[in-house]
Amino acid sequence: MVLELVIASGKGGVGKSTLSSTLALYLAKQGYNVIAVDADADAPNLHLIYGIDRWEIEEDYREAWIAEIDYDKCTMCGICAEICSYKAIKLIDNRYVINTIICEGCLTCSLACPKKAIRRRQITSGKIRIAKTPYGFPLVSAKLNVGRPNSGKLVTEVKNRAKELAREDTIIVVDSAAGIGCQVISSLAGAHAAILVAEPTPASFSDLKRVHMVTKHFLLPTGLVINKYDLNPHYTRKILEYAKQEHMDVLGIIPYDDNVPKAMAKMKPLVELYPQSPASIALLRIVSKVEERVVKGWSEWFREYKPRKPVPYKPIILKPPNIGKG
Amino acid sequence: MKIKISVTGGKGGTGKSTIAVNLAVSLLRYRDVVLADLDVEAPNDHILLGIRLTNEQPVKIMLPFIEYPKCIRCGVCAKVCDTGAIIITREKLPFIIPRLCSGCRACYFACPVSAIVEGQRIIGYTYHSKANTIHGSLDLITGVLREGEEHTPPVVLAARERAINIAKDVLLVDTSAGTANHVAIALEDSKLALAVTEPTPLGLHDLEMILELTERLGIETWVIVNRWGIEDTTRLEEVVRKYNSSIIVQIPYSREIIDSYIKGKPLVEVHPDHEISKIFYRLAKTISEVI
Repeated sequence: MVLELVIASGKGGVGKSTLSSTLALYLAKQGYNVIAVDADADAPNLHLIYGIDRWEIEEDYREAWIAEIDYDKCTMCGICAEICSYKAIKLIDNRYVINTIICEGCLTCSLACPKKAIRRRQITSGKIRIAKTPYGFPLVSAKLNVGRPNSGKLVTEVKNRAKELAREDTIIVVDSAAGIGCQVISSLAGAHAAILVAEPTPASFSDLKRVHMVTKHFLLPTGLVINKYDLNPHYTRKILEYAKQEHMDVLGIIPYDDNVPKAMAKMKPLVELYPQSPASIALLRIVSKVEERVVKGWSEWFREYKPRKPVPYKPIILKPPNIGKG
Repeated sequence: MKIKISVTGGKGGTGKSTIAVNLAVSLLRYRDVVLADLDVEAPNDHILLGIRLTNEQPVKIMLPFIEYPKCIRCGVCAKVCDTGAIIITREKLPFIIPRLCSGCRACYFACPVSAIVEGQRIIGYTYHSKANTIHGSLDLITGVLREGEEHTPPVVLAARERAINIAKDVLLVDTSAGTANHVAIALEDSKLALAVTEPTPLGLHDLEMILELTERLGIETWVIVNRWGIEDTTRLEEVVRKYNSSIIVQIPYSREIIDSYIKGKPLVEVHPDHEISKIFYRLAKTISEVI
């Protein structure tokens, strides 16, 4: 089977890309067929870690729209500005103007305009890029143009590209965006397992719990890695307790290491450049554990760590009064 | 007169929130400040201030309900829905999937027989909390997206409006990472943006994206380089010049700032005489003079 592993963290800058790049690199070196996916579409960075300076494939992503006003037809009624959910339409110098870095192209203003003065136009909202890393395996990377809606669809699309390239036994390593919004949800949807990264700080712990809730919605078995654990050993223990209670597999902890930013500056994976540095040693221990437990021992690991009871997402719905039973 | 200043930066984990809370407290010395945490997916300013979120208000978006007796099974509602939240059953009746609905109301306006009525769905919350600081009480407005919800802009908008309504003098906004449209919504109408980055190729790459965004929004942007000294900054300085921006502040790597971050008390409060605290006070003074 194709195995899709997602690295997520809630909080940004805690080490997702460092872990995901090390994992993909290690598995490729062990002889697995690997595809790396950069699903952090509005801050894609994996290509910088792998030192990729040229894309072999670079396609426009055009599944996006933007509204445009035909001023010959506009009667200045202001309905569009009133109904826009994103407040993307404003009256500027006696004209209704659409802010093109906020508009989501949802068609609502076009439909609401009594004079049919608003049409929507298809635009390019980003790129899908593919390159072979210097380490032999491909990277599929999403890039969203600035100010575009935080497109989960683009993330789904790059994951589909990776699946098209995949063989029966490929391991897809997805590096998700920070946060818990649509890009993260699209990263987790359809995946087999999540590996969450946290730092021993209250902020990171809070964001970890939020993204973990989402992995539980998707019933994903979940592993945990604590980065820079020695910044605050007390808080590291606290997060480890949470992991135990929540039945996450603790895959390892990584010490703070100055060589991490140094490796980034040189655009090389840490484990390649400084294999003997403390963070490298810890990272290699973690990724070999992922290989042993998650990849080789998949069915046992899945049985052991899939959430014990389903925690489905439940929308909070306020029904309109007098709605007939449907 | 209310003046909006935003802390942003593209890359996650560069120190946006740390800088936002320290600057907010420092600015209180000179101005009446409201801090708005618009990083609704990962809101942390309250944690860094060591306070609880209070005065909860729900953020509601429209959720369509179908009045089936009126429905003529034309399928138009599903055709105009961009998020795939309306599926058509075998009986040609529309069926709503709340999770996927972005509340845009396109279906409501498209339905030729007005068979769609407006319900609502709660996708997040806003909060109004107060922190007692050495320079007086700081108002904090926070937006929080509910876990499992995908659509951030309505929560950012609701928190932004709530903050604008209580701001008297200066509104300091902390945006999320990235450069998507919800970051643009958080930044909109700012007099000044402070882009926080770190001297790594990753920080630089994302800084360039955020500078492109603030340029398109027409917002003057100053760059703050955090963890100054970990790497060479020649390329960084080139990019900053290319966008007619300038590096206004360099914050060195420091153990004390990490400790204060962990403790949930801003550095300017724990160590007001610290070298970095002095940087924050100087920056606050510069900003209050410029505005």
